[in-house]
Amino acid sequence: MRRSGRPSPRGRRPQQDMGTPDSLGMTPLGRKTAETGINFTSTTRFSRGLTFIRTHTLFGQSPARRIIPQTSLLQENADPQKIAFLLRKQWTLYSVTPMYKFSYGNLKEYSRLLSAFVAAEKQKGLAVEVGNDLGIKVTLSALLGLKGTDQDQAAILVQIASRSQLPVENAEDRVVWSGWFCCVSGDDFLENVPEDFTCLSLFLANGAESYTTIVGTWFQKTFDCCFSRLTISPLNLAWMAAMWTGCEVDSHMAATELVFSVPCLPQTLDISYAIHPEDAKALWDTVQKTPGEVTQEEVNLFMDCLYSHFHRHFKIHLSATRLVKVSTSIASAHCDGTIKILHSKHLIGVLMLLTELAISQIQ
Amino acid sequence: MAASGRRLRGDPESGFTMDETVAEYIRRTVLKIPRREIMEMLTIWDFLSKTQLQTINVHHTKERISQEVVTLCEENCAGIKQAAILDMICEETDSLNLADFKYKFKRSLQTALKNVTINFREYEDNALWIRIAWGTQYTKPNQYKATYIVYHLQTPYVFISSLRSNLPLLCQALVHASNYHDIHEMELRSRCLDSLKDIVFKRYSQTFQTYHPRPLQERNVAPEKVDPRIIQENKREKERIQRVNQEVFGNGLQPKIEFAQYKLETMFKGEPEMDILTEKEPFRCVVKFSSPHLLEALKSLAPAGMADAPLSPLLTCIPQKARNYFKIKERKDILSASCLGS
Repeated sequence: MRRSGRPSPRGRRPQQDMGTPDSLGMTPLGRKTAETGINFTSTTRFSRGLTFIRTHTLFGQSPARRIIPQTSLLQENADPQKIAFLLRKQWTLYSVTPMYKFSYGNLKEYSRLLSAFVAAEKQKGLAVEVGNDLGIKVTLSALLGLKGTDQDQAAILVQIASRSQLPVENAEDRVVWSGWFCCVSGDDFLENVPEDFTCLSLFLANGAESYTTIVGTWFQKTFDCCFSRLTISPLNLAWMAAMWTGCEVDSHMAATELVFSVPCLPQTLDISYAIHPEDAKALWDTVQKTPGEVTQEEVNLFMDCLYSHFHRHFKIHLSATRLVKVSTSIASAHCDGTIKILHSKHLIGVLMLLTELAISQIQ
Repeated sequence: MAASGRRLRGDPESGFTMDETVAEYIRRTVLKIPRREIMEMLTIWDFLSKTQLQTINVHHTKERISQEVVTLCEENCAGIKQAAILDMICEETDSLNLADFKYKFKRSLQTALKNVTINFREYEDNALWIRIAWGTQYTKPNQYKATYIVYHLQTPYVFISSLRSNLPLLCQALVHASNYHDIHEMELRSRCLDSLKDIVFKRYSQTFQTYHPRPLQERNVAPEKVDPRIIQENKREKERIQRVNQEVFGNGLQPKIEFAQYKLETMFKGEPEMDILTEKEPFRCVVKFSSPHLLEALKSLAPAGMADAPLSPLLTCIPQKARNYFKIKERKDILSASCLGS
């Protein structure tokens, strides 16, 4: 059955069989989700921050609208070098349940314990690196500046470095694996978190998967939490394509590229659809109505426009295929749950979205 | 025209009948000669008279030329001895051509580049393989990053693989050695050499307008044991799609290519309700299709319901146009492909 590519006509307000949000940002009561059309009622709570309006995601459904922060929200105490370290790397995403009795004051102790654990696991022959058992050093440190609101917990960076083999003094250790926990503007999605728990719901890892497993195991055992791979649905990828295409980028605009995978064929077929960044942004600007806010309808219209232009040339219905990867000037994301962030200016915005996805996966 | 089933040919005047096998042999020998060398070969052969040679028009198809030669041979009562001599002349010229090509090619490259390793190998299907390891003025050739070239001497096509630099130099050597005027790069790439040969030599089953479309029942498909209570709602549509697909793609196996890339610079035009982007600037995008066997995958899109049938000519023209890189521009009000350099 082919999906008809017709978008909603312009001018129609988004479907709302709910109460209007008031000035304090109270979230609506019942909501028709774009995907399933089933009505849910939710309990609401006042959001503590007056800065943004938030909608409560229910059972992993995508919200009717999302906010894009227009300016860089990196807080002043961010270390530019550490932030630069996070950019232009491919990170694998995980969602983490709240950690029990995690203390920021014990980071040195945790480093020591984790180092010992990693060394022990390596001797079991589980780790990948061979011939480099002259000392593995693990450090946990706070990553300052990666907060959306003051209620967010500070981000934590974990790094595994192998001690330099050179006999030279002060020779640099080589970082072989990195992982960081963060939670950006997550407090509005998290209700009534008890005191002993720390919510760092998003975890990003770069390096050998064996190390990721070891570190994850230690955190799970020590803080009684649970890691799971965070996959990104085609719907959320479409959101990312729309939201990130609209972001202002000062330097080096990259094409907006969408990669589709065609299922159910005897041969696999991948279609890459890359649009010149200026033209993609021009299209998005005519679709988006309220600056700083994106609705589901706008995302659908944007995608339908792209599908229809494609169909005109090739007679292929992209809507019947599966969107697996999105790349823009801001960041690129793959449905397997990997991400690469390219600009520090939009780092917080991207982390905000990922935090939301992580938390809705936990629920 | 096949030789089987043909009677012994006869020349009504002299009563001579040329052996069918000899006729076929001569015909095939002539077919193998490159067009521009035919007259030269026949002259050297010295079996047909000058007046007879003048009746041959080298601008006809090779099939026709070979037929004409056979007819003339009949008039002259050709036997196996003459056929053998013609064959030897062609072989000798072939190998002379080959030796000449190899010599000129090697000399051309080695004059320009001091450090280069060149090797040749001939295969039964008249393919000449050339392997080149490149060095620079100061470094020895890197044997691990060799370039490979396949050249069928009777054809004007060359296939090149793993070339990272020195393309102008290589082109110059090829043109010089093969006695052609010029060489230009086709926008056609694939990992399967045989498929590339099929496409440029047009050896795949091309689709032409089917005047007698085969009904689907003719194919040897075992009837499925379908529950008679199941009714297919869109049976007619499915059959239509199959039929259209066959017309467009043909019955045979598609040549194997791995990707196709389209650079689109057409105006954006969506559904009528979307009055988006009323700008006059083109909507620039690049679309790339990739698959282990692209044409087969495209062929199965419409039956799977993911595309309309017939599929866009932009995709189905790939074998005919022998290219997999396209630049599409808007031409007035009609959407059409203006392929650069084709």
